[in-house]
Amino acid sequence: MDSRTVVNFDQHSTEYKASFPEISHDIRSRCPAAWTERYGGYWVISGRELIGEMAKHPELLSNDHDPMGVRNGYQGIAIPSPQGATSRGGFIEMDPPDQLEYRRVLNPFLSPAAVERWRPMIRELSHACIDEVIETGRLDFVDDLANIVPAVLTMGMLGFPLTDWVIYCEPAHALVYTPPSSPDFPRVLAQAMQMGARLAEEMERARTSPRPGMLTALLEAQTAGSPFVDDDILGTLSLLIGGGFDTTTSLTSHALTWLDDHPDQRRRLLDDPELLDTATEEFVRFTTPAQGGGRTITRDCEIGGHAFRSGDRVWMAYGLANHDPEAFERPDEIALDRFPNRHAGFGLGVHRCIGSNLARMTFKTMLTVILERLPDYRLDPGGAVRYEDIGTINGYQHLPATFSPGKPRGRPLEQVIDRWGSTLYGPSSASR
Amino acid sequence: MQVRIDPDVCQGHTLCALAAPGIFLLRHDDGHAYVESPDVPAELHDLVRKAVATCPEGAISIDE
Repeated sequence: MDSRTVVNFDQHSTEYKASFPEISHDIRSRCPAAWTERYGGYWVISGRELIGEMAKHPELLSNDHDPMGVRNGYQGIAIPSPQGATSRGGFIEMDPPDQLEYRRVLNPFLSPAAVERWRPMIRELSHACIDEVIETGRLDFVDDLANIVPAVLTMGMLGFPLTDWVIYCEPAHALVYTPPSSPDFPRVLAQAMQMGARLAEEMERARTSPRPGMLTALLEAQTAGSPFVDDDILGTLSLLIGGGFDTTTSLTSHALTWLDDHPDQRRRLLDDPELLDTATEEFVRFTTPAQGGGRTITRDCEIGGHAFRSGDRVWMAYGLANHDPEAFERPDEIALDRFPNRHAGFGLGVHRCIGSNLARMTFKTMLTVILERLPDYRLDPGGAVRYEDIGTINGYQHLPATFSPGKPRGRPLEQVIDRWGSTLYGPSSASR
Repeated sequence: MQVRIDPDVCQGHTLCALAAPGIFLLRHDDGHAYVESPDVPAELHDLVRKAVATCPEGAISIDE
């Protein structure tokens, strides 16, 4: 009866990063739902059509994470499931209808119309980051810009002091790019624990002196007459920080790398800014910053002609599906004007990336400012450092570059952040 | 041509509004798409077909 196609696959392996196109096409050609024995065994869904069909069935594919075993013992969205977890990671590790309650509260902050309000801040922050380095002719796109802007923005969205971005930035990134096998991992984990404690402090502070933003909305929310559970609010804060920081940074780094390799296409984008909309979707498809997510099958079932058993683990491989030649012509090439583009780069179904509109706007604004201010940037040959493990986030740790020096245009970054803090929260509460 | 969005399938990817901004509008609360009228003027048929083809969820249907 067992007709599973078994493959040797691990999205956290060095082979996955080094040989992505070959591995992507090999696994899909064997079976769009293939089984790997890694991490206790899981299905890898790599076909664009099948992954779309599966995403339509949240009742069959659970995101639940129940490390204490009070509901079902499901392992959530990370494969492997993190050791020592005691609670779920916010609403991405919940199923409908509870998950939808969180999204209902947060969606109004993240609709296309809502995120437009942040564009002036993103633009000014991007310029200020470049002002800091423009006289030197050198920068690291990650450390000096693409880490900073999304982090400050996320602070503003949450309703945190903007200057607190430095507290969360490095720990949040390190947690994603440091594999558990690294000798540095205990330090990274300790940093993450401190970050969690800091979030708990912030939550308590917001109960008595609330600032406008997502945290206050989460604290004020009611579901069936009860407030949200504290642990789930904290999990959600971590989720929004992780989702808000790392993904847009990764997308920007990949785009800058590709535009460095393709000067004619950089010229094309500079000459025709209207290309930016389709180009953004194409960069999201091609790089898929969040490579996929784990699910647990809730009952024996068949989806798209593939049989699954209750309790099976599944990895929704959006990164692989985005390179499916059945869905995308010449999938391993970037075409800035590719459209239609049915990419799954923001995920699919009820768990579609809640920050997709914010990510697009932030990315487009940062890239536009970079191309305007540093049109002749060149990456340092051999200087780029990709994440050691790209199986969770396909990102860059460092991306050093040189360019023709210029003159600063505005205030220093620190002053820009302070001034926006005053704008958002009033002069007295801009910092503590 | 008549166009319809299945609200249970739309997840707010917003690509339809990129394809045919005059036809597909986005709700302010969650960014999910809607149409004010199902009737599509002839000059916009191609754009609406593009929107159908680019919807990641397959939420848009047309009746030609």
